[in-house]
Amino acid sequence: MANTVIGSSIIIDGEISGDEDLVIQGTVKGKISVKESLFVEGSGLVEADISTQNVEIAGKVTGNILATDKVELKTDCRVVGDIKAPRILIADGASFKGNVDMDVER
Amino acid sequence: MAIQAKEIEQVDNTIVGESILINGKLEGDEDLTVRGRVEGAITLTKTLIVEPSGVVKANAAVRNAIISGVVVGNISASESVHLTREGRMVGDINSPRVIIVEGAAFRGRIDMGEVEEPRIQERTARPQSVAPARPAMVPVRPAPPPARPPAPPPRPPVVVRPAAPPKPVEVKPPAPPPPPPKPAAAEERAPMPTALAKRKVVVKRKK
Repeated sequence: MANTVIGSSIIIDGEISGDEDLVIQGTVKGKISVKESLFVEGSGLVEADISTQNVEIAGKVTGNILATDKVELKTDCRVVGDIKAPRILIADGASFKGNVDMDVER
Repeated sequence: MAIQAKEIEQVDNTIVGESILINGKLEGDEDLTVRGRVEGAITLTKTLIVEPSGVVKANAAVRNAIISGVVVGNISASESVHLTREGRMVGDINSPRVIIVEGAAFRGRIDMGEVEEPRIQERTARPQSVAPARPAMVPVRPAPPPARPPAPPPRPPVVVRPAAPPKPVEVKPPAPPPPPPKPAAAEERAPMPTALAKRKVVVKRKK
């Protein structure tokens, strides 16, 4: 369903914004702001602040995450940064360091 | 949604969807298809494909580029640049192969690297018809008879060829009848021209 896929050998240094789902298998540095869902796959490496509706992380993320709906950290992911979302799901095997704030007033 | 993400496993092609805006530097070792907006700089070792809904305001250094959308910026391709019918581009193209299809819009410079000037040496497949009446193009020739309409008529194609590299010299003055027979004999014409028009000889030497 995702229309935008950032492949595994792509490196983006800048801002990404959009109104559709985004799948990241490569490297993104900067800022991500998507109105729908963001999927960071196992090979994905994100050093950016994320602002989106849903996030599913299976790769590495360094940066603050702001979601209006849900944040899901899957097994073997590594997240360093603060998470602000009304719903959070951290799977067994995920690695996370940061603050969690589930009182999102947006 | 988790399942959907997994399905998109090994994609060898990066797609920037229609409503996505990427602002910054993009580098990669795979194909990139742009259906949205990319601004900044793009560096790829493969192909950049800009679809009709895509807008790229960036300088791109890629291997191949196929443009069906809007590109504002310079493209440096190591292999080819293909501007299709819906392609609109403003900027310079730097590529050894450039294909611009009818209907495309382009404004800018094209640099294909080393371009050899067309030489008129080969008389074999060069029928007179090739050169439209171009009387005074001769300036290229160091030789004097630049604007000598009478001279060329007798034997524009033949003599001129060896003498003057650039095609324009191939002048085909408005005298159609004389040329036709000439070409036939042109093949072995070495001596003939000299006899007929001294000027030609001079020209030849100049070469």
